[in-house]
Amino acid sequence: MGKPQFYDFCVHAAPDGDNTAQELTALARHFGYSGITLANHSDKLPQSRPVLSLPDGFEIFKGIELVEENPSKLHGLIGKFRKSVDVLIVHGGSETVNRAALENPRVDILNHPAFDKSSGLNQVLAKAAAENGVAIGLTLRPLLNSRGSRRIRLLSDLRANLDLARKYEVSVVLSSDAISCFDLRSPMEALALAEICGLEEEEAIEAMSTVPEKIISRNRPGPGYIREGVEVLEEVDYF
Amino acid sequence: MKRLLPSLRAKKRYLAFELICEGPASRNDLIKEVMSSASSLLGDVVASECDIKVLGFEDWKGIIQCSHTRVKETRASLAALTRIGGKRATLHILGTSGTIKRVTEKFLQDHKVFEPKIETESQRLRDDR
Repeated sequence: MGKPQFYDFCVHAAPDGDNTAQELTALARHFGYSGITLANHSDKLPQSRPVLSLPDGFEIFKGIELVEENPSKLHGLIGKFRKSVDVLIVHGGSETVNRAALENPRVDILNHPAFDKSSGLNQVLAKAAAENGVAIGLTLRPLLNSRGSRRIRLLSDLRANLDLARKYEVSVVLSSDAISCFDLRSPMEALALAEICGLEEEEAIEAMSTVPEKIISRNRPGPGYIREGVEVLEEVDYF
Repeated sequence: MKRLLPSLRAKKRYLAFELICEGPASRNDLIKEVMSSASSLLGDVVASECDIKVLGFEDWKGIIQCSHTRVKETRASLAALTRIGGKRATLHILGTSGTIKRVTEKFLQDHKVFEPKIETESQRLRDDR
């Protein structure tokens, strides 16, 4: 087995974050990532898609992080953006939004599910997530930028969600959720931090490499793809 | 006092790092922040087991020493560093080794530190094409 390829699946570029997409990609490349997803919040989308020079061996995926309180509007937004993006993230944070996101198989990742006094997940939601193939996003930025009691809260929420994810076999994605260059961490450091926070080494590597790869292969069907379950593997002239 | 026998000395790992920071950062500020982030993330007990020391820091590059069994914890606590003297910063570990000589040769000698002004990098990428 070769070296795993690492991806950062939630990076916010200007106008959502402080730095431009060029700066973030240059830094992520320097850190040794194989690809990042530029996923701005849906209320802060750039006017036009930035034109990026694509260096070899580095991929930039189109993504979006939907922010919407109303579940039926959220489903509408998912339908609107699904076709045009590679990675669709929902910004959770209330029971109804979490539920709507996890019950929709067109969603890829649910970020920040925690609210008030709950970690954001329970057995019902975890089961729904496993059934619909929605991954739970673990984000580094809040962990890095808080200290003391707030960080303790975040870590215990993370542990609770991890336990549920392990029990119901929900996939987990580890991302930086960076809003500036200074929030990005290199893959090795992100792994070390994740392991300190309670993930096993294998889980952490999976959360940064295989799970993102699966999401991309699901959303970027091959050239022979016709519909779900039907695919032309080899075209031969029969006549 | 008599020096400890080599076989009795604690084994160490040396981490080469580069610092990406908004503004100038002094060695003392760096040491202070590294220690405080380690004790905040790991707690004082584990941080003491890590035996973290900043050995040298010059030109945005440097070497940090830690216990050879606690590299992971050290890495995590260095990753948790977000600010130095009030300025936003990231510490990027270039590699680890068991001797200072090797870590310098392998990672620090011809390493160019990533420019905080990143426009130059993307400019260069564009020029290369």
